[in-house]
Amino acid sequence: MATIIHITLKGIFRDRVFQGIMVLAVLFLFIPSAASLSMRQMTELTTTLSLSLISFIMLLLAVFLGATSIWKDIERRYTFSVLSLPISRTTYLWGRFFGIALFMLMTTVFLGAMALIAIKAATFGYPPSRPVVWSTIIVTILFDALKYILVVAVAMLLATVSTSFFLPVFGAISVFLAGTATQPVYDYLQTPSVQAAVSVIVRKAAETLYYLLPNLSGFDLKVHAIYSIPFNVQGLILTSIYFAGYTLIILSIGSFLFAWREMK
Amino acid sequence: MNAIEISGLCKQFKGKRRTCVDALKNLDLQIEAGEVFGFLGPNGAGKSTTIKLVMGLLRPTSGTAIIMGVDSTLAESRRKVGFLPENPAFYDYLSAEEYVAFVGSQFKMDTALLKRRSDEVIKQLDLWEARKRPMRSYSKGMIQRVGLAQALVHDPDVYILDEPMSGLDPIGRALVKDIILDLKKRGKCVFFSTHITDDVEKVCDRVGVIVKGSLVAIDRVENILRSGLEGYLVHLQLSDADAGTFAGLQAVRRTGTVSEFYVPSSVFNAFMGAVNTSGKEVVLVETKRRDLEDFFLSLVTSSAQESR
Ligand SMILES: Nc1ncnc2c1ncn2[C@@H]1O[C@H](COP(=O)(O)OP(=O)(O)OP(=O)(O)O)[C@@H](O)[C@H]1O
Ligand SMILES: [Mg+2]
Repeated sequence: MATIIHITLKGIFRDRVFQGIMVLAVLFLFIPSAASLSMRQMTELTTTLSLSLISFIMLLLAVFLGATSIWKDIERRYTFSVLSLPISRTTYLWGRFFGIALFMLMTTVFLGAMALIAIKAATFGYPPSRPVVWSTIIVTILFDALKYILVVAVAMLLATVSTSFFLPVFGAISVFLAGTATQPVYDYLQTPSVQAAVSVIVRKAAETLYYLLPNLSGFDLKVHAIYSIPFNVQGLILTSIYFAGYTLIILSIGSFLFAWREMK
Repeated sequence: MNAIEISGLCKQFKGKRRTCVDALKNLDLQIEAGEVFGFLGPNGAGKSTTIKLVMGLLRPTSGTAIIMGVDSTLAESRRKVGFLPENPAFYDYLSAEEYVAFVGSQFKMDTALLKRRSDEVIKQLDLWEARKRPMRSYSKGMIQRVGLAQALVHDPDVYILDEPMSGLDPIGRALVKDIILDLKKRGKCVFFSTHITDDVEKVCDRVGVIVKGSLVAIDRVENILRSGLEGYLVHLQLSDADAGTFAGLQAVRRTGTVSEFYVPSSVFNAFMGAVNTSGKEVVLVETKRRDLEDFFLSLVTSSAQESR
């Protein structure tokens, strides 16, 4: 599996689309100056913008890498040469996933460092009302990365059954959007007034979706980072377990489907 | 032990709107270890389908394929196999050297041996100059050569090659023939598909002919060549007076003082007896036989007529 991870990483680094996406990181240079235009709450604004930029780049990478890696191997007929080696489809799929996940973490470290520099620069220009808690920002970025790695797993699952890239690309984006919204919608449906108004079938359907779709709200800690609010550590541990469990299940289904698939 | 054992293998492709292609019908085939087997058939006969089934890329509709005793649905069955796909494609961002190293490591070769073997096969296939360039920039024939290099690098016991000569120049084709002959000498099993009867004639022990998904013939190459023997062309030194006929046969050609007679196998002994008693000089005796190409063509046309 190590060699699959290795060539996955090589492939990403030598890819032009990846190089294009990374150019977006240049935008970090402009964040402090953009934030300075607001004159107030410059640090908070810089933090918000930096975290949003990281999220945006990571989402692009997650969808692009997760959806296209397997699809491209099939489309370009690389699967004939690779899957005829003595590797199981499961090893191949997990190797691909770990390669991409590792790359996402490396990108996180790189982008995170850029963000910290931008925020530090902002604190010089306009001292913040509340002291910046660096560890909080770092943990926030880390959980953001976990969220997008989970999106990678979803995109790969869709790619194992799809013959075009439409399903994995748009499917992953939809699951991401829906996953961000499930918790608020679920909470809303639990309020007594709504329970009375909405039919049981709709509520059951929503509940099923709630358990089926990834729940991504727990990964979003931006508020804590921006306003230096302490974390609920137990919540973070649960979220991590949720991440590991959900990814494991998704990829197990993925490798089952992929093993069944024919290379025509 | 047989290197490859195929029993009752069938493959149907189900298309859209209930179309259904019987790509392979009940194939039984045993390839012995140490044997070079040519798999001959026209376009769309089912050669690549068979090979993909054996490599576990397709799932059989029914039947089994076993390589070196291991069922081909398991990854383990490919541990001793070097495989060249039809019109191969390899990660184009890697160089030939990197790709061959990747393949070698999948076969758990140790680093020093891998390095040595990799250099060897890359040189052998004349990719040395290009070995550090990404394969994106390779020509079709160069990709085919990488395909052969990665099938050879780990020195497996079984080679499964789908049209190994395709896309190669004459020098490349000759090289592949030499490689296969060398593998044969070293007791390896080679199973390869091709359209070109000449390749089969030169290198194979046995040949199987597949037409429209069914195996229509399977035999040793020398048997086919021997059974195809039809007669002899005998060149005799004759004076102008009796140039036209000899022992009741008409000359088919005359050049200078030499007449050529076509002698069917059945009367060859009698004809040569007559030559002996007359004391005429024999310049040359040529065997006239149907070659593998004719054999192949007659099989294909006859099975096409049957199905009509
Ligand atoms: N994925 C597929 N879906 C439907 N039919 C297929 C598929 N792949 C192959 N076939 C059909 O199966 C038959 C055998 O194809 P195959 O590729 O095995 O032929 P082949 O002997 O390798 O031919 P060639 O010499 O042209 O390479 C053909 O009729 C082909 O149309
Ligand atoms: Mg073919």
